Amino acid sequence: MKKPISWFTLPFVLIVLLFSTTNSMAGNAKDLEVGITEHLDQYIPSGIMLTDHNGKLVDLKQIITKPTVLCFVYYRCPGICSPLMNGLAEVMTSSGLALGKEYQAITISFDSRESTDLAAKKRNTYLKKIKGQDGAGWTFLTGDSVNIAKATQALGFGFKFVNNEFMHEGSLIMISPEGKITRYLKGISYQPFEFKLAVYEAAKGKSSPTMIKVLQFCYSYDRKSERYSLDITRLTATITLIFALSLLTYLLLRGRRKNSNSVNQ
Amino acid sequence: MTGNTSTQRMPSYLEYQGKYTGIRAWILSTDHKRIALLYLYSQLFFFLAGLVMGLFMKLELIAPGRQIMGPATYNALFTVHGLTMIFLFIIPGLAASFGNFMIPIMIGAKDVAFPKLNLFSWYLFVFGAVIVLLGIFTGDGPPDTGWTFYAPYSLKTNTNVVLTVFGAFVLGFSSILTGLNFIVTIHRMRAPGMGFFRMPLFIWSLYGTAWIQLLATPVVGITFLMVVADRVLHIGFFDPAQGGDPVLYQHLFWIYSHPAVYIMILPAMGAITEIITTFSHRTVFGYKAIAMSSLAIAFVGYLVWGHHMFTSGMSETARLVFSFLTFLVAIPSAIKVFNWTATMYKGSISLEPPFWWAMAFIFIFMIGGLTGLVLGSVSTDVHVHDTMFVVAHFHYIVFGGAGIAFFAALHYWYPKMFGKMYNKKVANRALLLLFIGFNVLYMPMFFLGFMGMPRRYYDYLPQFANLNLLSTIGSWILATALIIIIVNLLRAKKGTPEEMDDPWGGRTLEWKIQSPPSLENFEEIPVIDHEPYELIEK
Ligand code: HEM
Ligand SMILES: [Cu+2]
Repeated sequence: MKKPISWFTLPFVLIVLLFSTTNSMAGNAKDLEVGITEHLDQYIPSGIMLTDHNGKLVDLKQIITKPTVLCFVYYRCPGICSPLMNGLAEVMTSSGLALGKEYQAITISFDSRESTDLAAKKRNTYLKKIKGQDGAGWTFLTGDSVNIAKATQALGFGFKFVNNEFMHEGSLIMISPEGKITRYLKGISYQPFEFKLAVYEAAKGKSSPTMIKVLQFCYSYDRKSERYSLDITRLTATITLIFALSLLTYLLLRGRRKNSNSVNQ
Repeated sequence: MTGNTSTQRMPSYLEYQGKYTGIRAWILSTDHKRIALLYLYSQLFFFLAGLVMGLFMKLELIAPGRQIMGPATYNALFTVHGLTMIFLFIIPGLAASFGNFMIPIMIGAKDVAFPKLNLFSWYLFVFGAVIVLLGIFTGDGPPDTGWTFYAPYSLKTNTNVVLTVFGAFVLGFSSILTGLNFIVTIHRMRAPGMGFFRMPLFIWSLYGTAWIQLLATPVVGITFLMVVADRVLHIGFFDPAQGGDPVLYQHLFWIYSHPAVYIMILPAMGAITEIITTFSHRTVFGYKAIAMSSLAIAFVGYLVWGHHMFTSGMSETARLVFSFLTFLVAIPSAIKVFNWTATMYKGSISLEPPFWWAMAFIFIFMIGGLTGLVLGSVSTDVHVHDTMFVVAHFHYIVFGGAGIAFFAALHYWYPKMFGKMYNKKVANRALLLLFIGFNVLYMPMFFLGFMGMPRRYYDYLPQFANLNLLSTIGSWILATALIIIIVNLLRAKKGTPEEMDDPWGGRTLEWKIQSPPSLENFEEIPVIDHEPYELIEK
């Protein structure tokens, strides 16, 4: 029984190989090009100048005076932005918190081509969905590309313009009254109690990394690449299937082994 | 007729002296029974490790606010807990330990078809586990992605997810090889007269499982490798910034997760069938229906898998088809429960510990199944998704199903495997305690879920405090019961050959040989001349 020993060393070699690659990758703290990189415990810098729905130029840092739920969307998005805004409106009513008193909401368009008019119009649509809440607590912002870049970079929101659409991830970002980022709520629909807890935590400036539940992306991926990875999967599936079928055929043809073999050790 | 009488007893596989001594007599042995015990011990070890992590999580959740750990630790803990329990305990499950031990014996063979491959599979299992553990203890910290490694989250976290995913890949490979070995063994090694329809139903269930393992695992293996490739080589299968599709991974994993549930649950059902049949002292009701339902589950699961793989895929109808499948698979499961009941009905039942374990299995598993229907069909305004409801549901299914069945099988085959009998009274009481602990631990989670408590979070709002406290107390009861159970098994006493060879009046082949079995199981290959589970005068 010497043979197996050489087999058994193989995994060791692989481990060592993997080790060297993973270690060289560690510490790679660059932000994602597309998607959220959590910037917990960082503060929003002042001097990010955006335009609110009344056309007034405001400093993002300065309008954050309460626990704040912030989200990046673009108003003309054909993808997840509307569902995300609906999800936000829904949880605003179901959480039982008073908008404008206990917290405020800020929505920022990251498409620099979008206008104050459009922001105001969208705002009216969503205010209708949160009847009974004080709409004054929900600000809709637009901005030029420089300030949008400042804002998205500060908050770890990576997006990319491809084929006339934006690729981006959906998430709410919780910010403390002092402008500290405390939590990311990913996805496009939110649990009322999760939201409430996140607002309370923001109020105390307590931060916590999220466990992702649902990933929601607006993306126009490269069809070719998708087909590429699907092809790999299908190839594997086909090989497996052919192998399994031949095995079955072989076994059915061969039938039982003559049972005279004895066991070694 | 088939067995040995006590006059010609051979040294048992536990005492047998081969080329090697000491630990090497175990880790270099190709005897399926010793390999089975290697699996059994490793699995129990991982189960206990997972249990400890579960206890720490429950301790954190004992009251609102931060108790003993922060959110990052909690994330790492439930990820590692899930990984350990699923990949190192439940997926090898009953097949690796009890399957390995029983398949050759129950079909009248001396070993599996490829004994060396069998040992190699165990080594792969251990190496996979080591790699997973390395991933946990090295790098920037344990993975925190949840045990499903959803990309692109697993592509961007700074923790050491690559090693862990690769470890999972190795584990998958191990289970493919085991499946292959079992399939060939069942086809080729049956004793003369042991037709397919004379095989015990545990073997049928392992046969179905082995095919699922063989067909479904390679695809998830490749998916894991793609994640590794994305991380190491930046190819961009799943990273949107590089033109990849972030949702594709979830889709592929989802395709796998359905068959995976059957890999976990089918052998469990097989073992329960054996137990119920033995203790009802009747032949099993609807033998063919049960045998076929094992295959049907495998086949239906496979069909949908294939459908998704080869049709245009990626569509929203996928969800619909999958929930329909859930109902389809409920049918064979229901057949089994019905047949179990019918077997017990009019049987003269002996109320031994393994039988009670089987009852606990049926009860808990049914709660899991029914709440699964709730999950599948609840209207959108009741948000139980991603709440504690889900956590409760899958613990009822996975722990309550496969986990409980594992211990049921252990109590059933323990005298056969070790030639020793545990204290039955203690076993019964400990089971009762476990049953109480289990329900006190998980039942409140259903209510918490309905009330909206999110899962995967270390903290919660004060209105959830009481039920969480109750649940934490349940975890202590459960742990106490498990300790008693294990100590009771360890303190089992040797019995006379007459007592140990067939303590339950079982009718499958393993009860016709000595306990513990000799190295070759059968000194002479038996010739089978009767139907399965037929009562034979001794
Ligand atoms: C065979 C037994 C078990 C299996 C297969 C199992 C499996 C799992 C899995 C897969 C998860 C999900 C991890 C994730 O979200 O990524 C989980 C979570 C969890 N399990 Fe277990 N588990 C078992 C036993 C236990 C025990 C004995 C306890 C308690 C003592 C426990 C307590 C928990 C807790 C507290 C969570 C986290 C809930 C959350 O915050 O989302 N589990 N388990
Ligand atoms: Cu969008």
